[in-house]
Amino acid sequence: MHRVRTSVALLGLAAAAACSSGSTASAPSTAATGGSSPATSVGFQEQHKGGTLKLLAKSGGGTLDPKINYTLQYWQLYQATYDGLLAFKKVDGEASFTVVPDLAEALPEVTDGGKTYTFTLRKGIKFSNGADVTTKDVVASFKRIYSASTPTEGTFYNGIVGAAACIKTPAACDLSKGVVADPATNKVVINLVEPDPEFPYKLSVPHAAILPATAPPKDAGNVPIPTTGPYMFASYDPNRALTMVRNPYFKEWSHDAQPAGYSDSIVESFGLTVEAAVTAVENGQADWVYDPPPADRLNEIGTKYTAQAHVNPLTAFYYLPMNTRLAPFDNVKVRQAINLAVDRNAAVKLFGGTQLAQPVCTFLPPGFPGHVDDCQYTKGGGTTWSAPDLDKAKQLIKESGTAGMAVGIVVQDDEVNKAIGEYVQSLLTELGYKATLKPISANIQFTYIQNTKNKVQISLTAWYQDYPAASDFLNVLLSCASFTPGSDSSINIAGFCDKGIDAQMQDALVTERTDQKAADVKWGQVDKAVMTASPVVPLFTPKLIDFTSKRVGNYQFSKQFYMLVSQLWTK
Amino acid sequence: MLGFAVKRSASAVLVLFSLSVLVFLIFFATPGVDPAARIAGRNADQATLMQVRQEFGLDRPLPVRYGLMMEHLFVQRDLTSFVNRGVKVIPQITQAVPVTLSLVVGAAVIWMVVGIAMGVGAAAWQGRAADPIIVLLGVVGVSMPVYWLGEVVNLLTQSRLHGSVFSWVPALGYVKLTDDPAQWALHLLFPWLTLAALYAGIYARVLRSEMLSALDEDYVRTARAKGVSERRILIRHALRCSLIPVVSLFGLDFGALVGGSALLTEVVFGLPGVGRLTYEALQNLDLPVILGTVIYAAFFVVLANAVVDMLYALLDPRVRRA
Amino acid sequence: MAAVTVDGAPASRDLPAEQALPSPGPWRTALGQVRRNRAAMASAVVLVLIVVVCVAAPFYAHSVAHTDPFTSNVSGTTLVGGKTVPVLQPSTTGLGLGVTPLGPTWDVRHYFLGADNQGRDVMARLLYGGRNSLLIGVAAALLCCALATVIGVLAGYFGGAIDAVLSRLLDVVWAFPVYLLAICLSVVLLTSGLTIGPLHVGAGSLWLPVLIIAVVYVPYVARPLRGQVLALKNKEFIAATVGVGASDLSIMRRDLLPNVLPTVAVFLPLMTALSMLTESALSFLSVGVQPPQASWGTIINDGLGLLYTRPAVTLAPGIAVALTAVVLNLLGDGVREALDPRARLRGAG
Repeated sequence: MHRVRTSVALLGLAAAAACSSGSTASAPSTAATGGSSPATSVGFQEQHKGGTLKLLAKSGGGTLDPKINYTLQYWQLYQATYDGLLAFKKVDGEASFTVVPDLAEALPEVTDGGKTYTFTLRKGIKFSNGADVTTKDVVASFKRIYSASTPTEGTFYNGIVGAAACIKTPAACDLSKGVVADPATNKVVINLVEPDPEFPYKLSVPHAAILPATAPPKDAGNVPIPTTGPYMFASYDPNRALTMVRNPYFKEWSHDAQPAGYSDSIVESFGLTVEAAVTAVENGQADWVYDPPPADRLNEIGTKYTAQAHVNPLTAFYYLPMNTRLAPFDNVKVRQAINLAVDRNAAVKLFGGTQLAQPVCTFLPPGFPGHVDDCQYTKGGGTTWSAPDLDKAKQLIKESGTAGMAVGIVVQDDEVNKAIGEYVQSLLTELGYKATLKPISANIQFTYIQNTKNKVQISLTAWYQDYPAASDFLNVLLSCASFTPGSDSSINIAGFCDKGIDAQMQDALVTERTDQKAADVKWGQVDKAVMTASPVVPLFTPKLIDFTSKRVGNYQFSKQFYMLVSQLWTK
Repeated sequence: MLGFAVKRSASAVLVLFSLSVLVFLIFFATPGVDPAARIAGRNADQATLMQVRQEFGLDRPLPVRYGLMMEHLFVQRDLTSFVNRGVKVIPQITQAVPVTLSLVVGAAVIWMVVGIAMGVGAAAWQGRAADPIIVLLGVVGVSMPVYWLGEVVNLLTQSRLHGSVFSWVPALGYVKLTDDPAQWALHLLFPWLTLAALYAGIYARVLRSEMLSALDEDYVRTARAKGVSERRILIRHALRCSLIPVVSLFGLDFGALVGGSALLTEVVFGLPGVGRLTYEALQNLDLPVILGTVIYAAFFVVLANAVVDMLYALLDPRVRRA
Repeated sequence: MAAVTVDGAPASRDLPAEQALPSPGPWRTALGQVRRNRAAMASAVVLVLIVVVCVAAPFYAHSVAHTDPFTSNVSGTTLVGGKTVPVLQPSTTGLGLGVTPLGPTWDVRHYFLGADNQGRDVMARLLYGGRNSLLIGVAAALLCCALATVIGVLAGYFGGAIDAVLSRLLDVVWAFPVYLLAICLSVVLLTSGLTIGPLHVGAGSLWLPVLIIAVVYVPYVARPLRGQVLALKNKEFIAATVGVGASDLSIMRRDLLPNVLPTVAVFLPLMTALSMLTESALSFLSVGVQPPQASWGTIINDGLGLLYTRPAVTLAPGIAVALTAVVLNLLGDGVREALDPRARLRGAG
């Protein structure tokens, strides 16, 4: 997922958008603070129940419809409101990547060589409007993926039998062979065209949430749809606030999949600048800020409020896609030269320092399935990046004969992205190019750099995982299929298409069906091959800083959906 | 007079129409503004993109799209944002208007009082030390970038002196008048003063020169000759006549500000007014919101112009024939 | 003129329709009068100083500070009080979050005003930024006045259909609050650049803000000029030339233009101040001058992210903008009083 910021990167002060994120003195998946003991305890702790949790965000996250919204901001809140058949375990740390049964009684029975998934729906679960959750709702929810044009309909859910036609003509959608329900036994069978080992992950994200069959077939906008989780949405005004209150029909059915929440209500207010929001948390007027704190407040948070800052590494990376179809980057030597020349430490510094980001040299982030420490572009060699090699880079550029060409760098116009862009511009100038920087609004840059019509040579962007699978990075971002000339939706920004590497990726995907370990090794090899072809410059993997108020306890960080909002307590 | 009013209104409507077409064309001619991919979401399938295009009418010819948008804006009044799906444009504007009005009305009161006091003071003390000082103050007020002044005010009140002198200053933001009048005023105090600093300077300068030329007029000399006191001449004669251009100027400024010209102040102080709404929509290239706010803004500018023109026409028949 | 600003943008519209014609040979008399105006002269001196200092930016950067204000210096070091320190200092206390640029050293040879977030010398950038700000201010004011004169004279002289079209055009631009129009144009042009016939202005070019600012202020100057031309047209001496059978062009050039030029001259310094303020506001909203180019507005913008830790980065360019605008305004007032005391825009004071 590309981390979405619906809000505008206003001004330096208001914005500092992608800016920063935190770090911590303690190890990742830090223990919570505020005088509470963390995740180790199992089960609900009655004594901490009650109160209102006050969250702040610079702006609203757009539509509230869980089938449409594709922002981290609301996906985080959907964890406490909506459920799918499956869910990522809602716990702190590494275990949060595990898929557990949610509305289904157990993990699905997979048959037919991985093409058929059979679920049994739990009984006795109700929506927040009092209606029972039935197999009819499950079938309708899958249909709704196509009728509402869910962003991922063609990427996550195109493998369901009948989906291809549904995507083309939603009005005539027929899923009768793809999602089959038997109300008598409460069983739901999902048939796939091809085996898909990542399908359970795809069923665990909000786009596969089970909603009442009565939900409107189109985007519901800011009208809340009834929920199944511990909270429901009471009101939503994208310019003011989003209010969540307890779902009166909720009873905890699985502490792993959907634990009961602590606060009686959760309010996320919009409109304050991040600067003001951080001050409000410092003063105890609010409990948490969604947006990363501005650069000039980091030092203060890191020294005066150490106990309230939680820093966690993300499975994500910032990178510079180089357009392999435009000069000078159509020359592999030039691409390799840039990879050699970029000082990752400089980028890290501009992002907020070594506690907030870690230099990377591979496509897959450290700790991700398939990642192998390897670095082809560091001075003096080694498996991790240590320093740039400018001499070698200049040599390669000389050999390529491209020096003197004009190169445009397109970045988002918020503080941090612009700063890194200025650094890259300065570096390219040093390497002998006529480099210009083009900062454009954060909201349009991501689609702008994808469209080949805009002739973007090099850009800066970031990618955040949707689910923990190597293919979500390599296959999504660099396969030939991800490249569509002339379209705003062509996520293979480098326009990289290498038949050999594509075949390697297909092979790894097939291996995944039977042997994850062997597949991971293959993904590691793909990573290496990709880095040799050098379509992108990986810069660093960012860390996220959560700044909570003094009174907040039980901080838990899911690697999948970040801070577990329902688990914070204020008492 | 009626004919003049009709002609004036017709030309105002024409201006508003051309403006909306202009904005529409400006934004649809730009590369990267096609909202389909942003509406569809990251990494959307090409077929999904087609669906979105169809649903939002983005595949229709430009004039049809313009017509549809205007119909949704004025007839059905349900035009929705491209960025925040499901969010209607008109309520967004109607919610932002009270914020902008609060800011502008408060600031206007301050700048009129201070500006008039400064202008009269400078005119009364002409030739003495106070006059150039007031003039200089006015020029400084006019010359400071308002957003910069706002940031400096924020620096002092929110950070540097927040621990001491300004501990009573609340965090940035807006509190509704109906929720808590005291907090409303407190939150708006510094935005008012910042915006007023600029305009007080302008009005002081205008008034001073108007008064000086008025004091040169025959009727003032006559009054003086009659032995009317200087104070009375200043207030009753010179000020009264000088206020007419000031008031008409005020009409124009007020219209433009309510229309969204206070955007820098709103942005700097985090006030969710019309100016900020427009600015954010521009940053997002959220065309429906841009169209809505620009037409709204232009409406106020045009209205203010028309009102001022008609007032002049009432006072001066020659204008009607021009 | 500049005096009347809406959040910095003028609202004052028309010149008093009728005004006395300047006496013959007005320019020399006017110059003498400006010379006698102490405030104006002092302003002129300060202005010249500012210009000289800014023009000397390369000298300062290369020969005094030995720095390149357009190259990132993220990992660089400098000398402060004889000690070598990093330009960007990572926090070492507590959780070690954040990186803080060097603050002002008050040493003209090394980071006099400190560093920005790229580790560049703020003082050197301030001077280079001043060059761009002044350049844009002057160029935009000249272009705006030139366009406005052409439009005003054509519309006023010919009347009829030409006047109707031009006046409607002005009305449309007029109805758009200045900043909104400027931001609209900037947002669009900054992504695409501007191509008019064979002329192409790149997205990062300084000419984009110049063009945008010039265009948005055209009605503010063109309207009063049109009014003035209308008034002149009815004067006897013009009617006489028409009677003699002079061509339109020669009437406009020989009779109208010399009569409106003093008014244009009055507008110029005021428009320059206004253009400069507008440029800084656009750059502040990051839709003006684009990095790595600098202007006073972009430096203010750069400094906002450091406002709480390194306020000098924001304060210095703000003071520079304000000071320049003050002297331009005072100078403008002087020129107006000298050239045409009654040629005051409603609100120009």
